[in-house]
Amino acid sequence: MSSPGASLVLDQVRKAYGATQVLDGVSLTMAANEFVAFLGPSGSGKSTLLRIIAGLESLDGGEVRLGERRIDGLAPGDRDVAMVFQHYALYPHMSVRDNMAFGLRNAKVPAGEIATRIAGAAKSLEIEALLDRKPGQLSGGQRQRVAIGRAIIKNPALFLLDEPLSNLDAALRNRTRVELAQLRQRTDAAFIMVTHDQAEAMTLADRIVVMNDRRIQQVGTPMEIYARPANSFVARFVGTPAMTLAAGTATTDADGFAQVRLGDGSVVATRVPFAHLGNDTNVQLGLRPEQVACVAPGDTGVQAEAILVERLGDRSFVYARLADGQDIIAHDGGGCGVRIGDRIGMRIDGAAAAVFGSDGTAHHADAAP
Amino acid sequence: MTGDGRAAPARLTGFAFVAPFLALYVFLLIVPLVMGIAISFHRADLFGTRRWAGLDNYARLATDPVFHQSLGNTFALTLLIVPVLTAITLALALALNRPARSAAVFRGIFFSSSVLSVTIVTLIWRFVLTPDGGLAAKLLTAFGYAPLPFLSDPALTIPAIAITTIWWCLGLPMMLFLAGLQQIPHDLYEAAALDGARGWTVFRRVTLPSLRGTLVTVVMLQTAGQLQLFGQAQLLTGGGPGGASRPVVLFIYEVAFGRWELGYATAAAQVLFVLVLALTGLQYWLVARREPVR
Amino acid sequence: MSRGADRLSVPALIGLLIGAGIMVAPLVWTLLLSLKSNAELLRDSASAFSVPYTADNYRAIFAGSLVPRWLLNSSIVALGTTAGVLVLCSLAGYGFARFEFPFRRTLFAFVVVGLAIPEQAVILPRHQLFAWLGLHNSYPGLILPGLVAPFGVLFMTQYIRAIPRELDEAAMLDGASRLKLFLTVLLPLTIPAQATLGVFTFLGAWNDYWWPLISATTSDRYTLTVGLASSQMNYAQTSGLGFLMAQAVFASVPILVVYVLFQKQIVRAMAGTAVR
Repeated sequence: MSSPGASLVLDQVRKAYGATQVLDGVSLTMAANEFVAFLGPSGSGKSTLLRIIAGLESLDGGEVRLGERRIDGLAPGDRDVAMVFQHYALYPHMSVRDNMAFGLRNAKVPAGEIATRIAGAAKSLEIEALLDRKPGQLSGGQRQRVAIGRAIIKNPALFLLDEPLSNLDAALRNRTRVELAQLRQRTDAAFIMVTHDQAEAMTLADRIVVMNDRRIQQVGTPMEIYARPANSFVARFVGTPAMTLAAGTATTDADGFAQVRLGDGSVVATRVPFAHLGNDTNVQLGLRPEQVACVAPGDTGVQAEAILVERLGDRSFVYARLADGQDIIAHDGGGCGVRIGDRIGMRIDGAAAAVFGSDGTAHHADAAP
Repeated sequence: MTGDGRAAPARLTGFAFVAPFLALYVFLLIVPLVMGIAISFHRADLFGTRRWAGLDNYARLATDPVFHQSLGNTFALTLLIVPVLTAITLALALALNRPARSAAVFRGIFFSSSVLSVTIVTLIWRFVLTPDGGLAAKLLTAFGYAPLPFLSDPALTIPAIAITTIWWCLGLPMMLFLAGLQQIPHDLYEAAALDGARGWTVFRRVTLPSLRGTLVTVVMLQTAGQLQLFGQAQLLTGGGPGGASRPVVLFIYEVAFGRWELGYATAAAQVLFVLVLALTGLQYWLVARREPVR
Repeated sequence: MSRGADRLSVPALIGLLIGAGIMVAPLVWTLLLSLKSNAELLRDSASAFSVPYTADNYRAIFAGSLVPRWLLNSSIVALGTTAGVLVLCSLAGYGFARFEFPFRRTLFAFVVVGLAIPEQAVILPRHQLFAWLGLHNSYPGLILPGLVAPFGVLFMTQYIRAIPRELDEAAMLDGASRLKLFLTVLLPLTIPAQATLGVFTFLGAWNDYWWPLISATTSDRYTLTVGLASSQMNYAQTSGLGFLMAQAVFASVPILVVYVLFQKQIVRAMAGTAVR
């Protein structure tokens, strides 16, 4: 059923509920066998987009194509996609076997072939012993695997995963994450996963589509999203702890790079070409914790007061407040001796810092040659 | 919301599922309702004769002593049955709201009469109440009293119908109260116990306020039901003697199918309809006014 | 369970026993009367408390009386009504719960209004309507009015609404049509609701009196309820007290069997009325 070259194309997809716009001209092209995560807060439109691709919601404008076909007018069952639902959506009154067979029977697949496919999927997911049970007799993890099995067996060109890990406890979540990664290796289908958990998206996805406020904010590999966020929303949404955005004024240095004077008067030199900012000098300086080192307080450099120390064992994060009230997160070693209320110094490495214009657009240093 | 295409036929799929019911609903409930209002303004008989009569039927009802008597009887029956039935069934529910096996048996016994039809119930009670060899008469005689003419003494017929009705209708309100009691969170009782409340205080301060919604439901359902009391009166006393136990619905039945005066009977039915709506609405309003029931 | 584990106090227990006695005594009395010969009862009904007992009255029911015929009529009417209500209410419940169509909310409110319309307001005009259509003294004439069950539509709508929509969506992705997903996925999940609504409807149809009384006017079309009423009114002329009581017992048996078999659903139906 699936063709190796199949890929999904979204072209200017629009959707509104009455007067409320929920998707505003969303476009995206997926490569074959690509794993894409839709990442965003609730209400960002990511679930609606997934449901439009599945055919569970209609669109008000634009096109959805999968491989050679335009699918946005087709019934959900005719789109060559399979979905794993957030709450599994297993049919409670059917055995596991019948749950898996239901879609194939509707597609008039011969009984012999259905049996073969069920046996194969059950073997790979290790649910052979459960085939004659009802969903109510299964644990959460088992249900999740049956739900995945029900999708696999259809051999679709595109898998749609709706928050597939959100109902699992931490241990099961890791195991299922591994299973999804393996499943991905075994098939040549493409995957879309909707999630609000950035760790999940960073782990599984080839590319992440960050959504907010009806639009795609950025599309990129996990490292691109993390290292070069397109705007302040992405910068704050991705990364734990979140990136510090410190307000300041930009000026140019002798080499033409922007340097940012923070509210307490300290100046951070960046590698962002000043010319990129235009005349917009009221900026925010974006600093990941790893770009800010916690050092002993001294006469020079940035001085701050520690307000919280988050100890993770191998490293620590020090939440500190500058003289003007600006909070900055710094990193330190696992054996960090800082206590709340201590005066500390900070060494800020502006070389990888981003500068955000007043409209939130990010400016980065030119990529290394 | 679950758009499966924007085409017009898909928008009407849902309508196709509700259409069969709606068609019957309109044909068998709404059309007769409207017809009823129309007929009540006509001099009409059961065989299709119709003549516009304006408010004549209603004017006649206003001065018809037989109708007035039936209204009085209906009110008397309702006032007799509803409070007693409510009190008994609430007491039963309180006593039987426990997991013991014996409570289940008692619940079964008190509910069993509700599944019988009105004809069986009246058949049974007629030969309990009849002074001529009935069970009640036998018991009274055994204790040295004279048998009471329940079904023929004007002072006794309405109580007799009320007793029969209460015996028949215990099941539903009892079950409603039991369901209501089950909904009361257990921690309310624990809190009350910690506050040192016992017995009657717990009932007044915890149980009864929590049952308010159920109480309103029971009283409204029973009022609406008893205002329409019919079979018991028709079968036990025939409305007699001399109309002393004839309720409004029996009046309607007799006018329509005994005297074939369809227009007049329909007008009486409209009056009853308005009464039912007004009284149940009033009860709801009296309670909802103070605070929303749910 | 309020104070659920507590034992009943002695006065409460005595009260309950007396109450239960009042509930049961008329039933036992009826049963005893039905087992006595009519001649003996004519002399003194107190003879019901002593032997000899006989099954003659029950034999008489089967020997040429119309009672078996009424039983058949009642069965057809009650089962027909139940089947019709289940089909119509399930379809309408699915439509209201799962589809968006023009005037959906208005139509739903329109159905809810039906709950407030008492039978008295429509029964006479409906009698006229059925007379014009020639439906009196027929099974459709007896069944049709019972099919209008706004409560059933409300009940099924709420029940289906409580089923996760994800199941519908999974079935749609599995290629099922809206009708097929209704039949193969939702309907099996509504079986408890069907049982509750079914028993409720069956009891109502079986025990209905007012409508069959005016619609079925020839004795071979009577339902059991109306038939017993006619026996009761003609009591003076018929073959006697014992026979009449045997009819009452005989007519009670099917409905008591239904009660015992479906007790759980009946209780749930009652509780459902309250929770609504």
